[in-house]
Amino acid sequence: MDEVKVMDEQKRNASLNRPTERNTTQFIVTQLGGEQYGIDIKYISNIIRMSKITRVPKVPDYIKGVINVRGVVIPTLSLRLKMGLPEDEVTKRTRIIILTLEQHESIGVMVDEVKEVVTLDEEHIERIGYEKDEKERFLSGVGKADGKLISLLDITSVLSEIVDV
Amino acid sequence: MDTSQYLDIFLDESKEHLQNLSDQIMELEQNPENMDTINEIFRAAHSLKGMAGTMGYKRMQTLTHDMENVFSEVRNGTFKVQPGMIDILFKSLDALEEYVNNIQQTTEEGTNDNQDLIDALNSILKNNGEVKVGDSASAAPAAPAAEPAAPKAESATADGSGGKGERWQDIKINDTEKMLIEKAYTEGLKVYGVTVYVEEACVLKAARAFLVFKALEKLGEIIVSSPTAQDIEDEKFELTFSLIFISGNTADEIKDAVKSVSEIEEAFCAEYKMAAAPAPVAAETAKVEVKAPEEVKAAAPAPAAAPAAPAKPAAAASTTKPTASAKPVVNRTVRVDIEKLDNLMNLVSELIIAKNSLISATAAEGKGDNNSVNEQIEYLESVTTNLHESVMKVRMVPIESVVAKFPRMIRDLSKKLGKKMELYMTGEDTELDRTVVDEIGDPLMHMLRNSADHGLEPNDVRVANGKPEVGSIFLDAYQDGNNVVIAVRDDGGGINVEAVRNKAIERGTVTPEQAETMTEKEIIDLLFLPSFSTAKKVSDVSGRGVGLDVVKSKIESLSGEVEVKNHFGEGSSWIIRLPLTLAIIQALMVVVGDEKYAIALGSIQTIEDVLPEDIKLVQAKEVIHIRGTVIPIIRLRNVLDIPSAEENSNKNLTVIIVKKGDKLAGLVVDELIGQQEVVIKSMGKYIKVPKMISGATILGNGEVALILDTNALI
Repeated sequence: MDEVKVMDEQKRNASLNRPTERNTTQFIVTQLGGEQYGIDIKYISNIIRMSKITRVPKVPDYIKGVINVRGVVIPTLSLRLKMGLPEDEVTKRTRIIILTLEQHESIGVMVDEVKEVVTLDEEHIERIGYEKDEKERFLSGVGKADGKLISLLDITSVLSEIVDV
Repeated sequence: MDTSQYLDIFLDESKEHLQNLSDQIMELEQNPENMDTINEIFRAAHSLKGMAGTMGYKRMQTLTHDMENVFSEVRNGTFKVQPGMIDILFKSLDALEEYVNNIQQTTEEGTNDNQDLIDALNSILKNNGEVKVGDSASAAPAAPAAEPAAPKAESATADGSGGKGERWQDIKINDTEKMLIEKAYTEGLKVYGVTVYVEEACVLKAARAFLVFKALEKLGEIIVSSPTAQDIEDEKFELTFSLIFISGNTADEIKDAVKSVSEIEEAFCAEYKMAAAPAPVAAETAKVEVKAPEEVKAAAPAPAAAPAAPAKPAAAASTTKPTASAKPVVNRTVRVDIEKLDNLMNLVSELIIAKNSLISATAAEGKGDNNSVNEQIEYLESVTTNLHESVMKVRMVPIESVVAKFPRMIRDLSKKLGKKMELYMTGEDTELDRTVVDEIGDPLMHMLRNSADHGLEPNDVRVANGKPEVGSIFLDAYQDGNNVVIAVRDDGGGINVEAVRNKAIERGTVTPEQAETMTEKEIIDLLFLPSFSTAKKVSDVSGRGVGLDVVKSKIESLSGEVEVKNHFGEGSSWIIRLPLTLAIIQALMVVVGDEKYAIALGSIQTIEDVLPEDIKLVQAKEVIHIRGTVIPIIRLRNVLDIPSAEENSNKNLTVIIVKKGDKLAGLVVDELIGQQEVVIKSMGKYIKVPKMISGATILGNGEVALILDTNALI
């Protein structure tokens, strides 16, 4: 019985999931100012509409405050301010992406818009070298999909700075 | 035998016995002649030995056995308790505790034989109570330790065995059992009745019985037992149980097998004869003529009416009474994983949030016209409040479990430091949330050590200063509003502020100019900095500069705080203030600007309506004068960086007077919403929240409101 299942699994992998073997990653593409940023889907636990953010005094300005997500209080930060872009303008399309990193708790990031999910091949991702400027600090690379360029966010480095503060 | 199912009970009871032993030995040190104490110690040591033996912890058993021997001789009056003996006993207790801790962590007792302690105990025995220093090390190592436990155990209990009978004769047998017995006869086997008496002090009766059953099953087949096997397993029996047993062995062999199990006081075994006239007791009780085997069945109900019968239950009752008094009546408790409780607590929290949203939803719909809904909501409210309280109570434990070890610690410190001191404790029954109690032990220990080492002066200095030679340390715990206060106080020299000031300058912690302007309180606060110690000599006890900073951070992690009151020359007190609960509080909701905040009701003293002109300036700080007290004013709008809308300076101010210990402060808010139960939620690790925010809570409408920690504001 178990053996059959294993064989099925292997067969399915062989036929359907061929791309997986070529190291693909799925990204959620978000709009931030005039640019598109990709966030690795494995960190994302939820995407919610803009809700009332409660301001917390005496914290860095990129931390917008805390929100209630299904009974859990989650801090929320502005990706724009964190990336050195102008302050957010809340519109109908504004979303908060809830990220959950292993062993850490959740955190929300505000983005202008959530566009789509793309699957990128390793060969379509251009890794950025060591010389990163201020903005590129938080990028892990640039992805190409349908002729568009997507900056891929290195979520761990975006968040690690907050944790250390 | 698989003893793992008894492991939890074993650990619990061992700890109980160890604590009891520790208390009693302390008591003994004060009153070496007190026979009650000696008996109690003997009993506890004996139980501990038995339990360790059952569970197969040989080293632990050996050590307790030797302790017990010493007490047995003291009890018999062979020799008297001496100070040196107490030290050895305490060391043995420590060793036992180590065993128990090892068992708790690994289920193994560890490999430390503690031979030196065993030798020391035995040398006490050999020398009739004389404690000879050095003798313990040189004594022949293994020989005395190997001495078996048996004679002791028997002599201790044999005197109680009178008046016990062969109760197996009361066992009823049914047809199936009768058939089995008859079959056994035809196969040439013998049928025995066995009655086993367990020792009064025996703790794991069910385990003993289990061992007896095990031992017997090797020799033959048990047909029936009284009480039933299930009842015995559930410990639903007094000190005795009986059984009918088929075996090819002799009665003596069976008896020996039963008695090989420890803590078995007596075993009776005789051949069971169905048709024959029963043994004396049964004969008297059974007035029904004994005709045929099946009549045995009928005879059994009869004893109830027979005059001889009551005598035995009475005897049995009298033997069980001491057991009842020695061991608290079996607690009707269930052990629950703390995680499950947390879960339950979370659910209660969710329920309260849901209830709050119901309230705000109906309030928004229209007022007063929906009485039946309001009634139901009120009912729901009282149910959730009660539910919350009950769940909270489940999580509350007295701090006794933590502080009970302190008298012993102070005693040891007293010896080690060569200072005479006494610890006085009050309020051990004060209850705190389980999670807090677990964490509070270490900080308290640090502070007591601190008092003992730095606080109290050496005895000669005390006498010279006109104080009693024996120093006093006080540990007081009590509830104060929503807080629990634990104060450690001593009547020693107090903190030498000048010495601390000089030390701080010397260490470069502060500049001499800074030091000049610092208040006494600020100087004392320096003590809580990492690696700051004023002890002139580094001792084993304290003075390594770790301690107070650890104490402070630990307490703060529990949302508590430490305050020091110092009277130079007269002593100091260290006051720990802890929140009663970490989960749900009653709070006053207020509005500042357009933001809502919660303030714990427990810290609020009064709410005042203040005219703007009543606010006076003292040293450039705003204060108000209320009923003879000058209270500093804190404008929350400024403290919380709330974007300032028009501030109407002519309007009356709403001022919430909050207290922290005996200090007061007035918080200026814009509006009061009302009292509400709020569930404290953590704000996560990603943001470093300022100290004045103690957490967040979710309001009825789903919004998040921050909870102000007024203690941090004052």
